[in-house]
Amino acid sequence: MTKEEIISKLTTIVKPYVQNEEGFKNLNENTDFINDLEINSANLVDIILDVEDEFKIEIDNDSMEKMLSVKATVEIIQTKINA
Amino acid sequence: MHNIGNDIVDLNLAKTQSNWQRKGFLEKQFTQKEQDEILSSENPFLKVWLFWSMKEAAYKCYTQKFKERFFAPQKFECTIISKDKGMVVFEENTFYTESISNALYTSTIAREKKEETVIFFAVGLASTIDLDLKIKLAAETGVSCKGIEKRKTTIGAPLFYYKEELLTTSCSISHHGNYGAYAYNIGSKF
Repeated sequence: MTKEEIISKLTTIVKPYVQNEEGFKNLNENTDFINDLEINSANLVDIILDVEDEFKIEIDNDSMEKMLSVKATVEIIQTKINA
Repeated sequence: MHNIGNDIVDLNLAKTQSNWQRKGFLEKQFTQKEQDEILSSENPFLKVWLFWSMKEAAYKCYTQKFKERFFAPQKFECTIISKDKGMVVFEENTFYTESISNALYTSTIAREKKEETVIFFAVGLASTIDLDLKIKLAAETGVSCKGIEKRKTTIGAPLFYYKEELLTTSCSISHHGNYGAYAYNIGSKF
């Protein structure tokens, strides 16, 4: 799966939790879930659970710790699907 | 330096925004001990959000000091001491918490030290909480409310200045749904 395909799937996953539409329109690799999309921190776990379901991977606690941005999340997904 | 962190959960919004019964929700964020306590509680929903606000307030207190961001709610373990008092332990750090819960919201303040120091705090509407804070801060420090300016640190924690003078030594603001809450302390010169 290419990086673009992963970002595209991730965009669909985060959409329901986004509270800053401007940030969502400009979503790119450097987008931060909390600072740019204003996603409530209580919804970060939903994104992680949705990522697990969508990509059929398991996110361990160490990986989860870093999942605050598109870039970090894409890197984790890539590592897990290639493992 | 005495750091403060706070958090507020709008309970009506939490009902629709999150599903705590979703598979994996508790397992990823709460320790086994916390999960047992939640599930055996009379009102598991309220316990979930009480623990969550304690973890979040403690995390915000921690990040003010260490300036790094991460998502590891399970590593912040909550212990309830009394009806409104608790403790959160993260690695070598202990945070002391005070929470207010009612039918509308759950809000927690976390601090690093157990000793009572003066903390100004209030719960209000999300839309006016910054102004509420400025009015209170102006009254406490004797400066004009209009001249108070909010800035943010690199990790996003708020600081309040009057001209170039820093008024707050530590400050935390939280919004969720209809509600907002603030907690801050001020320099000893005031």
